[in-house]
Amino acid sequence: MRRFLRDNSLGLVFGLLFLAALVGQAFAGHADFNQQQLTEGLQPVSFGRYVTSASFAVDVTENWQSEYLQFFLYIFLTVWLLQRGSPESKELDKAGRESDQDQLVGAHATDTSPAWARVGGLRQALFSHSLGLVMGAIFLLSWLSQSITGVAAYNEQQLGNLQDPVSWGQYLRQPDFWNRTLQNWQSELLAVTSMVVLSIYLRQRGSSQSKPVGAAHTATGVEG
Amino acid sequence: MRVAVAPVGTVLAVLALTGCGAVTDRADAAGDVAVRMLSAVAEKDGAGACALLAPDSAAEIEQSADQPCAEAILEEDLPAPGTVSASDVYGQWAQVRVGGDTVFLAVFPGGWRVVAAGCHSRGERPYDCAIQGG
Repeated sequence: MRRFLRDNSLGLVFGLLFLAALVGQAFAGHADFNQQQLTEGLQPVSFGRYVTSASFAVDVTENWQSEYLQFFLYIFLTVWLLQRGSPESKELDKAGRESDQDQLVGAHATDTSPAWARVGGLRQALFSHSLGLVMGAIFLLSWLSQSITGVAAYNEQQLGNLQDPVSWGQYLRQPDFWNRTLQNWQSELLAVTSMVVLSIYLRQRGSSQSKPVGAAHTATGVEG
Repeated sequence: MRVAVAPVGTVLAVLALTGCGAVTDRADAAGDVAVRMLSAVAEKDGAGACALLAPDSAAEIEQSADQPCAEAILEEDLPAPGTVSASDVYGQWAQVRVGGDTVFLAVFPGGWRVVAAGCHSRGERPYDCAIQGG
């Protein structure tokens, strides 16, 4: 058991931190929602009602979509784009899909290679892009969820302001949708840019995301 | 894998149907309260109409007319009750179109209560209402 925890501590700790943050967001969001309700002379809602509301759902999904977009772009663009000196980049002569030998697929697969890396055809093609495709699919689903829960939350506000609700199609053209979307995109893209550039010159001893402390600033594609 | 997908699909379908059912029920309930309030005014039952108003809306009527809600509401320019032609519910709010009127309602402990009635559209701007809270 202890060995399992140690060997999977990265995934487990981040999973638990995610749940703790989500629960914290639910409590803070519930308090904020009820504060607004009281301000408008309305009744506070129960915690259960809030966590099943469009308001909570849109606040959650607008952040999810941007995170998955970030990883989707990062996974796909790092196939082709390079950054000299960054451990986030591949070595400068390895831009592109790389050879079957480098990727251990088909005839170059080893005994421990996953089954779909050994076979050819559609299965190998799918498995070769599965990480990016799944991240991209989760991004699209989260963004769709944001738009659906967003229009419901927006319409609740519209009715509270004694204004007409809008359709989903109209909501996609509303500033509210794009403001929620782009404010998350910009922060994720800034974080990625910071990581790519700062990791050229800065180090974190022992971290898989950093070059070794003594590695040259020009060393590319080297992780500690 | 197919075995797992079927129950998930069923659960999602049931959730979607019950969710739609719940929304329809809430929309019907909001429409019912709007019609009851307008009917009470038409029948000169001021107390009955005020009982269906949101607290802030009833207080606003009393304050602006300087008389009890049950009397003041009968002097407001509210249309006769008609059939509900549309009822939209989003979270704690509902918009009901009844006869030629548009009524806005919100959820309170006793159920839906009328926040604004006798409302006329002003395009992008908020509706202009004969009675409204706040």
